[in-house]
Amino acid sequence: MRVEYINPFVEAAFNVLREVLNEEVKRGELFLKSTSQPVLGVAVIVGLTGDVEGRVLFDMKKEVALAIASQMNGEELATMDDLAKATISELANMITGQAVTKLHDLGFKFDLTPPAIITGENMEVSNTGVEALIVPVELQAGKIEINVAVRERA
Amino acid sequence: MKTKADFPSINERRPDGIKESGDSYRVLIVDDSMFVTKQINQILTSEGFEIVGSATDGAQGVEKYKELYPNVDLVTMDITMPKMDGVSALEKILEFDKEARVIMISALGKQDLVKKSLMIGAKNYIVKPLDRAKVLERIMMSLQ
Repeated sequence: MRVEYINPFVEAAFNVLREVLNEEVKRGELFLKSTSQPVLGVAVIVGLTGDVEGRVLFDMKKEVALAIASQMNGEELATMDDLAKATISELANMITGQAVTKLHDLGFKFDLTPPAIITGENMEVSNTGVEALIVPVELQAGKIEINVAVRERA
Repeated sequence: MKTKADFPSINERRPDGIKESGDSYRVLIVDDSMFVTKQINQILTSEGFEIVGSATDGAQGVEKYKELYPNVDLVTMDITMPKMDGVSALEKILEFDKEARVIMISALGKQDLVKKSLMIGAKNYIVKPLDRAKVLERIMMSLQ
C-alpha cells in the first residue's frame, strides 16, 4: 500500500485530536500487518469507495475511548453509552472528513460510509488482499491505533 | 438619592443569545449526532439562547420547523444525515419560509455541499470541530 494514502489520515488525526483534546499528541512507530490483528475494544470503522477502496479503523481500549469522550464532553462518562459512542463516532467523522479533503486535493475521488462503532472483547479484524498500515497515536489518555487498509481500484 | 438605574454599567454585556427586546433567540438544532447536538446546546444556552427543538434527520427537521414557525429564529443544520440530508432540508425550509435563517454545520471535506447550501440561501456555515468562539461568531453574523 502506498504511504501517500495513510499520511492524510495521520495528519488529520493529529490536527483534530490536538484541537479537541487540547494537548500534545505523539506519533508512534508505523507498522504493517498483512494478517489478522486484534481489535483493542472500541473500534470505529469508516469505509472508502471510489478511486481508492478499503477502510480506516480507529482502534482503542475502552478506557481510552471513555477518557476521550469524557474530555470532549466536559463531563465524566463511565460507560460506553449512546453519548460516548456518538462522541467517538463524531471524532472519527472529523478526522476522516479532514483526511478526505487532503486526498481530494491530491486528486483521488471517493466517498465515505458513515462511521460504525464496534465494541467488545476478543475481536479480530482480517483483511483479504490488502495490507493494513497501522499508526499508533499516543495521547495522555492512552493509545489510538489508526489502521488504514486501502488499495487503488483495479 | 440615586438609584442603581442612574449608573448604566459599561461592563455589563448583553449575552449574545438575548435580543434587544430582552427575549432569547429561539434555536432549532438539526443533527444526527447526539454529541454535536449537546455541544451546540451547551454553547448556546450558556449565552442565553433558547433551544426550542431538536431533530435527528432532515425530514424531522423540516417538520419541526413548520411546527415551531413563527416561533423560531435560527436553525443549525448538519449536512450529512440519514433520511434527508441537510441541503435538501434547507431547501424545504426555505420553500416554506423564505426568511428562514439556517446555518450549516459541516465536517471538513464537504466544501461543495457547503457552497451549494450558501447558494440556496443558508446564512452561514460552521466547520467542525466546533469551538465556542467560532460558533457564537458565525451565529451572531447570521442573525444580524
